[in-house]
Amino acid sequence: MKSTRDSFLERVRDAAASGRQYRVHTHETPPGAGYIGAGEDPLARLAQEVTLVGGQGTVVADLAAARKAIGELLTRFGAKSVLCWEHPLLDRLGLPDLLNAAGAGSISHASLARLPLAEQRERMMAADLCISSTTYAVAETGTLAVCSAAGRERCGSLIAPVHLAIIEAGQVVPDLFDLFEKLEGEGLENLASNITFITGPSKSGDIELTLTTGVHGPGQWHVMVIRDARS
Amino acid sequence: MSEYARHEHHEFMAASAEAMANPNLQGALGKLASSLGQRNKDAWQALDGSDHLRERARKIKDETLAELDKHLVTLEASVTRRGGKVHYADDAAAARSIIQEIVRKIGAKKAVKSKSMTSEEIHLNGALEEIGCQVVETDLGEYIIQLAGERPSHLVAPAIHMRLPDVTEVLSRDAGRPLPADATVLCGYARERLRRHFAEADVGITGGNFAVAETGTIVLVTNEGNGRLTTALPRVHIALVGIEKVIPKFADLPVFLKVLARAATGQKLSIYTSLTNGPRQPGELDGPEEFHLVLLDNGRSRILGGPLRESLFCIRCGACLNACPIYRNVGGHAYGGVYAGPIGAVITPLYDGLPANHHLPNASSLCGACKAACPVKIAIPDLLVKLREQLHQSPEAKHSRLEGLAYRLWARTLKSPWLYRLSTWLATRTIGRMKRRTRWMSRLPGQLHGWTGSRDFPAPAAGRFRDWWDGEGAAEGAGEGARDEGRGARKKNGGAP
Repeated sequence: MKSTRDSFLERVRDAAASGRQYRVHTHETPPGAGYIGAGEDPLARLAQEVTLVGGQGTVVADLAAARKAIGELLTRFGAKSVLCWEHPLLDRLGLPDLLNAAGAGSISHASLARLPLAEQRERMMAADLCISSTTYAVAETGTLAVCSAAGRERCGSLIAPVHLAIIEAGQVVPDLFDLFEKLEGEGLENLASNITFITGPSKSGDIELTLTTGVHGPGQWHVMVIRDARS
Repeated sequence: MSEYARHEHHEFMAASAEAMANPNLQGALGKLASSLGQRNKDAWQALDGSDHLRERARKIKDETLAELDKHLVTLEASVTRRGGKVHYADDAAAARSIIQEIVRKIGAKKAVKSKSMTSEEIHLNGALEEIGCQVVETDLGEYIIQLAGERPSHLVAPAIHMRLPDVTEVLSRDAGRPLPADATVLCGYARERLRRHFAEADVGITGGNFAVAETGTIVLVTNEGNGRLTTALPRVHIALVGIEKVIPKFADLPVFLKVLARAATGQKLSIYTSLTNGPRQPGELDGPEEFHLVLLDNGRSRILGGPLRESLFCIRCGACLNACPIYRNVGGHAYGGVYAGPIGAVITPLYDGLPANHHLPNASSLCGACKAACPVKIAIPDLLVKLREQLHQSPEAKHSRLEGLAYRLWARTLKSPWLYRLSTWLATRTIGRMKRRTRWMSRLPGQLHGWTGSRDFPAPAAGRFRDWWDGEGAAEGAGEGARDEGRGARKKNGGAP
């Protein structure tokens, strides 16, 4: 007897074959159709688009300027418990020192990994601020593309009411098409188990089409772009 | 709320009349054209070369379907390579029992769900409750209507039929205390409430906007972030995906993401697009440990082999609903199926059977606004006409002898010049002159009233064109040409123009 799988695929094969007589007429499209790009200054464009979709996009000159701006934000947020990504850029910034100075406790990957699952969840869900970097960013749409990895959890850009992403020039590509080229360039076998494109604070229009933010993900979304992040 | 908001299968005309007489619903639907509908139009206009991009998306769909079996095999191999498991479900019953089996095996007591029309299609929630697994819808709109015991009425805005006071009442009942009628506060309440469900859930169930064959990627597009939480926190992720959602290449994805967001909400990209590639990797603290992909046929292969194949291009953006003058007046529930609006009028009869949904192919004025709004340019009006043809030819169709005779006479008259002249002379001298003032007939006699039951019939003109042409028209025709004097259309039921 044939397995469900085989009879399923056989049925689809026959249907696909007899459906070919009903194929639609399509015309050739010029290469690059739908490519928009980001103009002269992709970093400024990124920050601008982030703000347009309801976030706060800023561009700062270097690490020192970034540290100052982050310090101010931490004071403003008054965050007590911060879920942080592990990332070379955040290391270069000396994020733990900045958090200490602001009196904010950080939830590290290592400290979480030691806890049993239920407690892990509780700790993560109690975070009042997420700080991450990104894998890539798309200037034209104001999008972060975050790839999950150990120390770069899915929740690290999702779980708290506020998300601050700190990124550098080398991570920014002009268009969504460029992003897919980058990801593909790293080898399709090596894709992260989760890749999320973030283009704004969490939004819903489900009550009378009235826009509300923060229904599930962060209601506040800050993206800080560092022009020159060399130490 | 009426019964028809809760149950499927009912008379479209009766439900529509009820919907049109419901001021609450009319108020809710009234916002649709100026918000989602307009944003969709603006987004196409703002994107240079949007027509080419839509054409490209359409082409990819057409090519994929021509080799769908091969892409499914590739998808299976990719998902398996990433540590996931693929299941094949012939129909709704098979899909329900596959998912029940997975849930039973892991002993899940609670499932959180990200919005999935496919799971509505197979009526999954009841099947899971049956085996003692609580199901919580986490999309805000879906959560509200789940509490209200209603069906979704729009592909992307499922609770669009409800006003703020209705929502406040439903959520207050859930909270056990009165909540203020303020969308922001209500959202905050739902966030807190649903967070607890997310923390407790053993399994996360989602649909899939796209499934990429070459990488085994299941793509979820949301604006709220519930799709992300559903695939980040529970230990097991089950994705239920119709076979038509497969696209061959990773590089095809940006084409669809660009058109989907613009069509659905006028955004350049939806807020969250999650590309899930199987279970979590070693060292990761969140994401599912187990991943199951359930591929659903449920009538899709039958459609694939037939003349309505193009309906499988649909990416469920809801643009045709927002554009449709019928949908915007009667709302989603009146259609009586899982899928509403123009595309619903095509695919509900295809999935669920034509006899049970015989009213749907006629629930359209064939104006073409749906086709113009569609991100993959599905010729919905053509498909509706094909369905009408099938209805007409089905053995259950009632063919009246009188109607046959009338059509034969009409054809004979049109084929013969002298008969045609005689008939127009008769029509103008009689009805034409009688109706000189109103020019519309509200009630045709006898069985012909079928035509005027829900719309007026134009009366013949008071004079024949050929007579006018022979007289004063000849002089004018020699000049800049005759112009028809516009006779403004009149709507029988008032309402929005």
